[in-house]
This record gives sequence, C-alpha cells and structure tokens, in this order.
Amino acid sequence: MYATMTGITFLILLSVIFVSTTRFMRHQIDDSVNSEVEEIFEDSPGRNPDAIGQVVQGLAEHPSGFYYLLQDSKGQVLAGNLPAIDPEPGVREWRKTTKAKNVGLSAIRGRGVVLPGAYLFVGWSTHQLLEMEEMVVGSFAWGLAASIVLALVGGLIMSGRLMHRIETISVTSRSIIGEDLQQRLPVTRAGDELDHLAVSINAMLDRIAALMNDLRQVTTDIAHDLRTPLTRLRQRLELAIRPGEDAAAARLTLENAVVEIDSILAIFSALLRIAQIESGNRRLGFKSVPLSELLGTIAELYRPMADENGQILIESIEPSLQVNGERELLMQLFANLIENALRHTPRGSTISVVARRLGSSAQISVIDNGHGIPENFRDKVLQRFFRLESSRTTVGNGLGLSMANAIVKVHDATLELADAAPGLRATVLLEASY
Amino acid sequence: MRILLIEDDAETAYYISRGLSEDGHDISTARDGREGLRLAGSEKWDLLIVDRMLPEMDGLSIVQELRIAGSITPILFLTTLGGVDDRVHGLNAGADDYLVKPFSFAELLARVAALGRRSPRLAVETNLKIADLEVDLLARTVVRGGAPIELLPREFRLLEYLMRHAEQTVTRAMLLENVWDVHFEPNTTVVETHISRLRSKIDRGKSIPLIHTLRGTGYTLRVPI
Repeated sequence: MYATMTGITFLILLSVIFVSTTRFMRHQIDDSVNSEVEEIFEDSPGRNPDAIGQVVQGLAEHPSGFYYLLQDSKGQVLAGNLPAIDPEPGVREWRKTTKAKNVGLSAIRGRGVVLPGAYLFVGWSTHQLLEMEEMVVGSFAWGLAASIVLALVGGLIMSGRLMHRIETISVTSRSIIGEDLQQRLPVTRAGDELDHLAVSINAMLDRIAALMNDLRQVTTDIAHDLRTPLTRLRQRLELAIRPGEDAAAARLTLENAVVEIDSILAIFSALLRIAQIESGNRRLGFKSVPLSELLGTIAELYRPMADENGQILIESIEPSLQVNGERELLMQLFANLIENALRHTPRGSTISVVARRLGSSAQISVIDNGHGIPENFRDKVLQRFFRLESSRTTVGNGLGLSMANAIVKVHDATLELADAAPGLRATVLLEASY
Repeated sequence: MRILLIEDDAETAYYISRGLSEDGHDISTARDGREGLRLAGSEKWDLLIVDRMLPEMDGLSIVQELRIAGSITPILFLTTLGGVDDRVHGLNAGADDYLVKPFSFAELLARVAALGRRSPRLAVETNLKIADLEVDLLARTVVRGGAPIELLPREFRLLEYLMRHAEQTVTRAMLLENVWDVHFEPNTTVVETHISRLRSKIDRGKSIPLIHTLRGTGYTLRVPI
C-alpha cells in the first residue's frame, strides 16, 4: 500500500520533470533554428534561392552543429549537408526510430521554410535531447524501482514500529488489567497521535488509581470500624446462649444487641446516603429553599440538647434568605455541623449559627469556642471515618462531616473549616435565590 | 385490622406478618407486585404495606395504580436502606407513610397503628382533651387542671401531635417527621430533650403523669392504667 502510493507519487513527479525538461530543450532547439533561419535570410539579399544557396553552402562547409538543406521544387539538393526531403513547412523532427523515406535523416529537429521555387530546412541534432530522454527514462525506471523498494522497506519498518508501539500499549494494558495499576503506557518523543492517546490514557489511569485508592481506604475503614462493634456483639450473644444463662439476663443482652446492631446499621445507612448524595444528578430536584426558616428550625431542634449539655446555642440569622437546593439535604448539612459542634466542645462552650447575605450568596457559619481542629487535619476530617485522636471516645461514627461535605459538593457550594481562635468555624457558602 | 402485605422476601414477610398477627391484626401476604395489585383491588383492606422492590411490578407502580383507581386505603411504603429519594417518590405516588428497612418492630407497629386509626373526624377537631389536659387548637392554649400552661410554638406542635395520637405509641422518627419535618435520624438525643422539656411543663407537680417513655421505642400520651 505504502509502496504503491510512493510509486505513483514518484511517477507523477518524474513525468512532470521529464515533460517539462524535454519541452524546454525542444524549445531551445527551435529558438536556435529560427534565429539561424533568420540569419540565413538576412545574409541572402533578395531572398532568392541562389543567394540562399551560397550562404547555406558556406555555412554547411563549416560544421557548427546545424544541418542545412536547400532543395529546388523538383527535389534536387541545391546546397547543404542533408539529403533531399519532402518539402513540408514548419517544425519537423526525425527521431531515431523514424523510418525517414529519405535516408540519413535521424535525430534531427528543425524548421522547414517553403520559398518561391525552393525549400529550405535548418535543423539541429537531437542526439543530446534523445540521450537525455533516454537517461531520464532510464533513471526513471531505476528511481521507480528503487523508490518502490525503499517504500516497501520503509513501510515495513514504519508499520513494524507502529505495530511494536501498539503491541507495547496492549501489553501494558493487559498487565494493568492483570494487577499492576501503577504501570503507565510508554510515551515516545515523537509527539504523534499515538503519544497524545497514551498521555490521555495515562491521565485516565491516574484518576482510576486515585479512585481505587479511595475505595480501598474506605473499604478498609469500614471493615475496621465495623469489626469492633461486631466482635463485641458476638461476645455478648455468645454469653446469652450459654446453657443455664438466666432468661432475664439473656433478654437484656439481646435487647442491647439490637441497640448495637442499630448503630452498625446507622453507619451503613450513612455510607449509602453519602454514596447516593454523591452520585447522580440531584440538581434536577433543586428548589428554592427558605434558608432562614430552615436554620431557625434546626437551631430550635438542638437548643434543648445544648442546654442539657451546659452549652449555649445562639443564632444570628438574617431573615428571608433563600437558596437553591434540596431542603432535606440542607437540613441534614446544618444539623450535622451543629451536632459536630455540640459533640466536640466542652460544657460552657458557646455555639453560634450565623447566616447572612454575601453578594449573590448566603454565608452560613457554625462557630464554636471549643478546641478546634488543628490545621493539618482540617481536610482529613471531611474524609469518611476520620476522627481526631482526641474525639475517639465521643459518640459518633466519623461520617457526619463527610456527609456534610458531600451535600455541599452537590450544591456546588463550599465548606471551609477555619480557626475561630479558639474553636472551629465551619462556613458554608451557598448560591442564593431570590 | 385487615392488612395486606406485598413483600417478596420470604423472611421479611414472615417477620412482619408474624409480628402483626401477634398484635391482633389479620394479615395476608402477596409475593409479587401483580398478585399484590390484584389482591389489593379485589378485597377490602384497612391498610396496605407495600415494599419498594418487587418482582413483576414495583411498589411505586402499585401505589400509583391504586390511587389512579380511586383507592383510599392507607398505604405504608417500605423503602431500602439509605434511599434518599424513595421517600419522596413514595409519598408523591400516593403512599401515606414510609418506613426505611431495616426497621424496628416497634416502629412498624406504631406506624401501622397511626395509619389504621387515622380518623378524619380527629383532623377537624379543634379541642383535644385527655384527663384534665385540654388543648385548644384555634386559640392555641393549653390548660391543665384549670391552670394555663405557656408553651413555645414547637412545644405546642409536639403536644398537639401526641394528643392526636393519644393512647398510641409515637416513635422518635414519627415526631421528627411530623413536628420538625426532619427526615433523617439525628445521631443524638434531640427528641428526648424536647420531650423532657414538654414533660416538665405538662406533668411537673401533677399526680397523674400523662407523657410516658416507652423504652427503646418512643412515647405515648395517656392516662396511666
């Protein structure tokens, strides 16, 4: 295929060269012949056959590369160094192969001029031209042959290299499928389409690897976080079914087991909820939500609990704030933030819920004056199951903030955890709707 | 109550029907959506319990079909763990209440009781009374033993809900949904603190307590036996 294409291209190219050179050379010959004819006429006063005959004779005696012929109307050679020919006017050419009726004429190109009672022909040897033609045609053949061979070989090499690269890619892909997600496709220095493709695929693999890593992390965390309560549960149930176990005690154990299972189910429920929030296009279900009212309800919901804990929950909410979103999710978001504050601050702490308009957004902050979160952990607490060492002993499953984060993400909002000096300031910036 | 349970999982069906029969209900079970819809339409029921995921025809379509056909039988919709949208879809389709699996039996019984005894008369009543506790829904006043009691608006709603469901078991989730419109389970003891506040206003210093805690289940408002 490649060779054929090269061959055809070569042929076209060479024919153009061939045609244009030979045409140019013929043109050159014609020009010289024409000027020679003119000179002859200029040198022959009256342009009568005798005068021309003299000039031609003179010229023919001093070989100059030109061929001359002057014959009369009966075909008798009057002067010159050529045999008699048909008195045809205009440009004439005898190729080597041409079987001229009159002998001796070969490889001549020239011009015939019909004069009163005579015929003049001036020609020039086309040996050089023919040689050149032969040479060109010869080199054509060679060149064509060579170029076809080269094209074939080159094509083989090229496609071999291409095949090799594709093979490398497919081998690498197979080993990635096999196990090793760390491998990447080779990128050459050629910078061609194949390299662009490899770069894109590598970027995709990076993303997949990151996601896999997340998944692995979450899976490990789930296993880890569930093993402890499940082990405890198993031990208790084992005690309850011991022979001779008091029926009332066994019943109590079973009741506790149900409570324990409920907390495990709550973890699953939260995980599934986070996954559901994160997946799919929830924005379709978004409506304008009365934020001020919603925050008021939540603050009111948690206030008695704060009082009970000896904490103060205060609110400063600008009226009639409206945001685009899903009411239930937003409610959960702020409930989680407030619960988080209530849970991780000591007695006597103050938790304030502040909401205000900020340009085209609504800014909601839950601020406490507890211990805060060290700066290097502020990103981590948004991850599933991450809990600060200091809060290991408090209730909770380490999913509250990751759920809050997931809700914030579907709302195209931001959740920023900052230092409230002292304490934590969790700020949500939501797109307002009026 | 005559209850039709449409549930394909044999174990869940057994768990639900056994518990409900022990509670004195007359329960029938359909194993797939088509059979369920046929049974639901061909007989008279006091309550339908419809699972979300069913072979042949899903629960959502059954609820829709029944409502289009003009059925007013109360429907309790069962959804799966973590279903954020199932609740909304179920209620939009025409279900009266929903329950997320897995649920506690106490929760199911409380919901079934609430749906079954739902009486249209109660909804228009403006004066609720139990023992010496009187609630005027129009004037929004509460009087116990002749003495007026000051309640915050939300406390009033909480009491109103308990009064409307007097003698019944009311779970934490039911209170969160109906009083605060909160459809997720907060991890903390928010409801308890509200109840104890209300209790301190209603029952403190009275010889007969009316608000009772049912361990591990919820609350009930009644005259103690």
